[in-house]
Amino acid sequence: MPRPSRAVAAVFALLLATACNSASGGGGTPSSVRGVTADTVKVGGIVSMTTASGYSKKDTDLGARARYDRANAEGGINGRRIEYLGAEDDGQDPSRNLAAARKLVQQEKVFAVSPMSSVTFAGADFLDSQKVPTVGWGTLPSFCGPRHIYGFNGCLVPTPGGTLNQTWPESLASVLGGARGRSVALIAGDNDAGKFGIRTFTQGFKAAGFQVPYAKAVVPATSMPSDWSAYTKEILRSGPGGGAPDAVISVMQTPYNIGLFTALKRSGYRGILSDPTDYDPGLLAKDATKQALDGVYVLLQFQPFESDGPAMRQFKEDVKKAAGGRDVPLNMHMMTGYMSADLFLSIAERAGEDLTVESFQKAADGFSDTGTLVGDRAEPKGQKESFGCGALVRLKDGRYEVAVPFRCHPPIPFG
Amino acid sequence: MGDLLGFVLSGLVSGALYALLATGLVLSSSASGLFNFAHGATAYLCALAFHELHSGFGWPAVPTALLLVCGGAPALGWGLDRLMFRKLAGVGETAQIVATIGLLVALPAAGLWLVELLERMGAPVQPAENQFGLPGVGPSPAVSWQPLDGVGIDSDQLITWIATALVAAGLWILLRRTRLGLELRASVDDRELTGLRGIDADRLSSIAWMLSSGLAGLAGVLATPLLGLSAHDYTLFLFVSATAAVLGRFVSVPLAFAGGLGLGVLQNLVAGYASFTDDITGLRTAVPFLVLFAGLVVLVRRRRGAGTAAADPPPADHLAGRGRARRWGAWSAAAVLLGAAFYTVTTPFWSGILAQGLAIGIVFMSFTVVTGLGAMVSLAQATFVTGAALVAGLLISHGWPFAAAAAAGTAAAALLGALVALPALRLGGRSLALATLALAFLADQVLFQIGWLRNGDTGWELPRPVAGPVDLGDDRALGLALVLLSAALVALLTRLRGSRWGRAALAVRSAPEAAAASGVSVVRTKLLLFTVSAGLAGFGGVLHASYNTRITATDFTAMTGLVWLAVVVAAGVRRPQFAVVAGLVFAVVPHLMAQYVTESAHLPVILFGLAGLALANDPDGYCAALPSRRAARRAAARAAGTGRTPPEPGRQEPPLPDRQAPPAPAGQAPRAPARRDPPEGARQDPPATAPDAPRKAPPGPRRPEELRAPGAGAAPAAPYPAACAARAAAPGPGGGVRGDGVSDGQPHALELAGVHAGYAGAPVLRGVDLAVRGGEVVLLLGPNGAGKSTLCRVAAGLLRPTGGLVRVRGEDAGRDGAVARARRGVRLAPEGRGIFAGLSVEENLALQLAAADDRDAVYARFPALAARRPVPAGALSGGEQQLLALAPLLQRPPAVLVADEPSLGLAPRVVEEVFRLLTELRDQGTALVLAEERAAEALGVADTVACLAQGEVVWSGPRSEADRDRLAEAYLGTGVRR
Repeated sequence: MPRPSRAVAAVFALLLATACNSASGGGGTPSSVRGVTADTVKVGGIVSMTTASGYSKKDTDLGARARYDRANAEGGINGRRIEYLGAEDDGQDPSRNLAAARKLVQQEKVFAVSPMSSVTFAGADFLDSQKVPTVGWGTLPSFCGPRHIYGFNGCLVPTPGGTLNQTWPESLASVLGGARGRSVALIAGDNDAGKFGIRTFTQGFKAAGFQVPYAKAVVPATSMPSDWSAYTKEILRSGPGGGAPDAVISVMQTPYNIGLFTALKRSGYRGILSDPTDYDPGLLAKDATKQALDGVYVLLQFQPFESDGPAMRQFKEDVKKAAGGRDVPLNMHMMTGYMSADLFLSIAERAGEDLTVESFQKAADGFSDTGTLVGDRAEPKGQKESFGCGALVRLKDGRYEVAVPFRCHPPIPFG
Repeated sequence: MGDLLGFVLSGLVSGALYALLATGLVLSSSASGLFNFAHGATAYLCALAFHELHSGFGWPAVPTALLLVCGGAPALGWGLDRLMFRKLAGVGETAQIVATIGLLVALPAAGLWLVELLERMGAPVQPAENQFGLPGVGPSPAVSWQPLDGVGIDSDQLITWIATALVAAGLWILLRRTRLGLELRASVDDRELTGLRGIDADRLSSIAWMLSSGLAGLAGVLATPLLGLSAHDYTLFLFVSATAAVLGRFVSVPLAFAGGLGLGVLQNLVAGYASFTDDITGLRTAVPFLVLFAGLVVLVRRRRGAGTAAADPPPADHLAGRGRARRWGAWSAAAVLLGAAFYTVTTPFWSGILAQGLAIGIVFMSFTVVTGLGAMVSLAQATFVTGAALVAGLLISHGWPFAAAAAAGTAAAALLGALVALPALRLGGRSLALATLALAFLADQVLFQIGWLRNGDTGWELPRPVAGPVDLGDDRALGLALVLLSAALVALLTRLRGSRWGRAALAVRSAPEAAAASGVSVVRTKLLLFTVSAGLAGFGGVLHASYNTRITATDFTAMTGLVWLAVVVAAGVRRPQFAVVAGLVFAVVPHLMAQYVTESAHLPVILFGLAGLALANDPDGYCAALPSRRAARRAAARAAGTGRTPPEPGRQEPPLPDRQAPPAPAGQAPRAPARRDPPEGARQDPPATAPDAPRKAPPGPRRPEELRAPGAGAAPAAPYPAACAARAAAPGPGGGVRGDGVSDGQPHALELAGVHAGYAGAPVLRGVDLAVRGGEVVLLLGPNGAGKSTLCRVAAGLLRPTGGLVRVRGEDAGRDGAVARARRGVRLAPEGRGIFAGLSVEENLALQLAAADDRDAVYARFPALAARRPVPAGALSGGEQQLLALAPLLQRPPAVLVADEPSLGLAPRVVEEVFRLLTELRDQGTALVLAEERAAEALGVADTVACLAQGEVVWSGPRSEADRDRLAEAYLGTGVRR
C-alpha cells in the first residue's frame, strides 16, 4: 500500500472507529422521547466559561446545578429526576456554540438545554429546528421569536413592533424625584450594538419624560481609551445651559465604566451615574473598583441579593449547598443559571407526566406565574419582550444597597 | 484652544503604553526580523503572573514587578528563542508569522492552565476571569492630580510614563552607545557577516528576545490596571501599537516611541473634534487601524519584490514523474471512503462535524492560492468569508435562490479581495500581513457595522440549498456534496497551478523582476491571485454559513483569520488537498481531544499553538512532511540495500552523503559517462592522518531521478577539466598540501584536506586539498561554478564540509561554525562587500577595532574614510566599501584571510589598490587565500596558484610554473584583456 494512503487510511480508521464508538455509546433510552425515560429527564447547558477576553459566565453552571439539585431533592418533576449533564463551554466562539448544541442533542440526546448563556448563540437555529426546549439569558435576538427558545426573564432585545422595558428610566426618575426637567446623557461603544443601545434607551428615557441632550455611541469599541477627557468634557457641557446633565448613563462593559466614571468624578461631576452591568459583588473585593463605582446606580432585572424574601433565601441556600457548603460570593451568572433552570422546571412541571416536546410547548403556551426572583413570568409573551421587572441598586461605602426595590413596570411600544 | 492643549497633553500621557509596546516590537523585529504577533500575549502572561503573585500569593507589588520584568519575562523570551525562533530564522517569513500566531493563543492558554493546575493543588491563586480594577505597581486606587485645567493624570499613568521614558532612553543608549547595541544592530544588518566577524548572532538574538520579552512584561505589568486580564485586549492593544512601530519603520526606537505618544494624542483629538465620524459607525474605533494601514502603505520601503514573502524554495516532490494513480490514488480513495462513511458508519454528530470541516476546508483552500501559490500572507480571509456570507444572506432574504445568492456573495468577496489587494500589493512579507490585518479590523469595525448589511445581531438566515430531489438540509447529503465539491476544487486548483497562469504566479513568487522581464505582469498576477483567493474564501464562507443556516457579522472576526492561517500552514499550504485535511483536522480534533484526551479547555489550545515548533522542522506542514519523510526513509532503506545514499527530499537538513560514496555532482547527468576522474597524479597524496579512505566518485552512470537539476554555472565548465588535466601532468612541488599538514616545522595557517562539501545534497567540492602558510598567498583560480566561493565558505566555517579535514594552525577545526572559525583567526572577506551597509563607517570599524586608537590609525591612513565617518557604509562607493572592509584587517592582521573575489565590480585603479593592500597584509604575516577570476592582476600577488574545476583542484603549483598566457587562455577564456 502506498505510504501516503496508508497514513490517510490510518486517519480514516481512527475517524471511523471514533464514529462507531460514539454510535455505540448513545442510545439506551426505552422512551421514544429524546432524553426522557420513565424516571429521568436529561438536560444540558451551554455557557461561555473560558474566553480570551477574561470574561466568564461559568458560575451560570453552578446556579443551574443548585436549582436542579433542589428539584431532585424534592422528588424531581412529576417523578422524573433531572439528569443535568453540566454546561458545555463554548468559549464565546460561534462555531463551538453550534458544536456544543449539536453534541448535546445528537450525542448526549438531551431533552432540553438550560441554561444557555453566552455572547453568541449560533446553535439557536439548530436547537429550534430539532425542537429542543432551550432556556437562557435573553440578551440575543435568538431568544426573541424561535418557538422552543426562552429567555429566563424574557427576550431582552427590543424588536420593532415589540415593546421596551421601562425599568431603568422609571427607576432613575424615582431616584431623581421625577423625570420632568431632568436631563440624562447616554454614552455607548462605537459599534452597531452601541448604536442600537443608544437608540432604544433614548426612546425609553424620552418616553419617561427625561431630556436626552447627549446620546452618542462614540467610545472606541475595541481599544479602551486610557484618557477619557475628550468624552467627559463634551458630556459635562451637554446639559441645559452648557452645564452638566443630571445623570450620565453608560451602556458599556465594566472596564469602560470604571474608566468613564473615574474620569467624570475627577472632573468634579456630582450627578447620578448609572449602568446596567456592574452588579457583581466581586467588584467590591478591590479598592480600585470600589472607589470607581462608588455611588453608581446599577440596573438589574432580577431581585437584588440584598433583598429579603423566601425565594431569595431559598436561592442562597441552594447555591451554598451546590457549592459544597461554602459561602461563595453571589453573582448574576448564578442567578441566570438558577432562573433558567427554574423556568424550565416550572414549565416541565405543568407539562404533566407525559413529558414530550409537544406537551412542554403546550404547557409553555399560556404559562404564567408571579412573584419569582425575576418578577411575573408569562409565555409566550416572554418570547417577544422582557418580563419588564427590575431594580436599582447603589454601591455605597463598599457594599450594594437597594436604591429602588424590585418591581415590574409596564412596557412601552418600541419603534 | 484650552481644550486642544489639554487633549494633546493628556494624549501624550495616555500614549505611553503604546510607546512601550511599540518599542518592544521594534526590538524583537530588528533582532529577528519578524513581527511578533505574540508580543501582546507575553504582556498578558506577565500581567497574569503579576496578578497571581501579588493579589493571590500576596507578594509585594514592586519587587514582584521587578522580578517578572527582569527575570521571568526575559527567561520566557530566552526559552522561546532557543526552542523556536532560532530554528525558524532560516525557514521563511510565513512560518515565522505562523509560529508567533500560534504563541499568541498558546501563551495565554498556558498561563491559564497553570493557574488551573495551581488551584487544583490548593495554591492561593485568584480566579483569572471577571477581574476588573486590578492593582498595578502604584497605589490602588490610583491617586490623581490636575496639574493644568483639563489635564488630568493619575499615578498609574505617571508610573507608566516615567517607566516608558526611562526604558526608551535606556534602550537608545544601549543600542547607540554600547558595544552590545552595536553588535545587535550589526546582526540585524547582516546576520551572516556578524558571524564572520566572530560575533555570535545566536547569542545576540537571544539577548534581543530577552529584552523584548522584558519590555512586553513591563507593558503587561503597567497595563494591568487599565486592561485587566483580557488576553484579547492585550493583543488588540498590541496591534494598535504596531502603528507606532510602523511609524518607526520597525527599526527606530525613538521614532516608535514618538509614534506611540502621537497615537495617544491622535486618539484624543479624534475623540474631541472628529464629530463627522459620528455618522459612520465604527470609524472612531477604527482610527488606529486606518493609521496603521496608511502608515504601512506610505512608509514601508520596498525591500524585496513587491508583495512576496521570502521565496521559500518548494520541498522536493518525491512523487515527481510518477503516474497519476500514484499521486492521486490515495487521495481519491480517502475521498470515496469519506463519502461512503457519511451513509454507513458516522453518527449524526460526526456527520455534522465532518461536513463543517469540509466547508471550512474550502475556505482554507483560499490560503493555498494566496499564500501557497502567491507567497503572500493574507490575514483578511475571514473578512471575505463574512462579507460573502452577509451578501448572500441579504440577497436570500430578498428572495434570491441559493445558487444566485452564493454566486453574488462570491463575487462580492472577490471584489473585496481586489480592493484589499490594490493598495497592499506594493508591500511584502510582514508588512503585507499587517496591512491585511488592518483591513480585516477595518472591515470588522466599520464595514460589518453597517446596519443593512449585518442586520443587527440577528444576522441573516442562510438555509441549506435544496435542488430537486437533493436536499442538503440533511448533514449526510451536505457532507457528500462537500466531498464532491472539494474534490472538484482540488482538481481545479491543481490544474490552475499547472496552467500558464499558475506558472506565471510561481514565477512572480520566486523572482518578480525576472517574471516582469518575461512579459508576466506582476501586478496583474498578484491582483488576480488575491481576487481568486478572496472569491474562494467567500464561496467557502457561504457554504459554511449555510451549514450553520445563519450568518452574523461576528461569526468570523479578524482574529479568526489569524488562527485559520496558522491551522492551514501547519498542515501545508502548497497543495489544495492539504487545506481539506486542515479543515477536517480543525473541526474534528478538538472534539476528539475533549472526548478522549483532556477535559481542560486550555491544553488543546496550547498544543495547537506549539504547532509552530513543528514548523521549524517541517516548514511545509505535516501533510507534506509525513509522506516525504517516509519516502526518504524508504529510499534510504533501498539505498542501504544497494550501498548508495540518494539525496533527501526534504530541504531542511541536507544529509551527510555517505562518505564512501558521495552522490553524483550537480549538472553531470548528461556527461557522466564521459567524465573521467582526474589522473591520480593530479591529486596530492591524501594526508596520512585523514581518517577517510581515498574518495572517488562512484563509477558508472546514475539513475536520472537521483540527480539534481543542473546548476546554471556548470554548463560552460566543460573545457576546463581537459585543460587542467593537461597541466596537471606536471604537478609542481610547492604550495600543495603536504601529507602531514606541516611544512618547514611550522603548521599551515589553514589547511583543507580531501574536503567534500555542497548544498542540500548537491555536492560542489569533491575532495579538495589546499594549504596556506602565514605570509603566503594562494591564488584560487577557476571558472564560474568551479566551487571557489563554496571553498571560501568552507574555509570560513559558513559551510560545514561533509567529508575531509579542515585544520587551522595544525588544529582540527572541521566542526567549527563561522564564529568559532573567526575566533581562530580565519576571516572571510565575502563576495561583494564585507561591510554592514546600515551602519556608519565609524560603527563598521568599531565592530572590529574596539580601541579608538586603532580606529584613529585607520583614519590617519585612509583620509577618505575619515571624511565619511558618520556616513552609512551602504552609501560609500564600491572602492571605499572595499577599503572599509580591508582597513581594520590591516590594522589588526588576522592569521588567515580568505578573500572571495575582492576585485569584483571595482574600477581597475581601485583593484590595483586592493591588491596592494592584500600584499601588505601578506607581508605582515597573514596567510591569504584569494579566489579570483581576474587572474592577470591576481597572479602578481600570488605565491602559489591552485586551479579549481568542478569541485576539484586539478592543478596547483608555484606561480613561476603557472604559464601566464596559457593559464589565461585555458582557465579564463576571454576573462583577461590586454
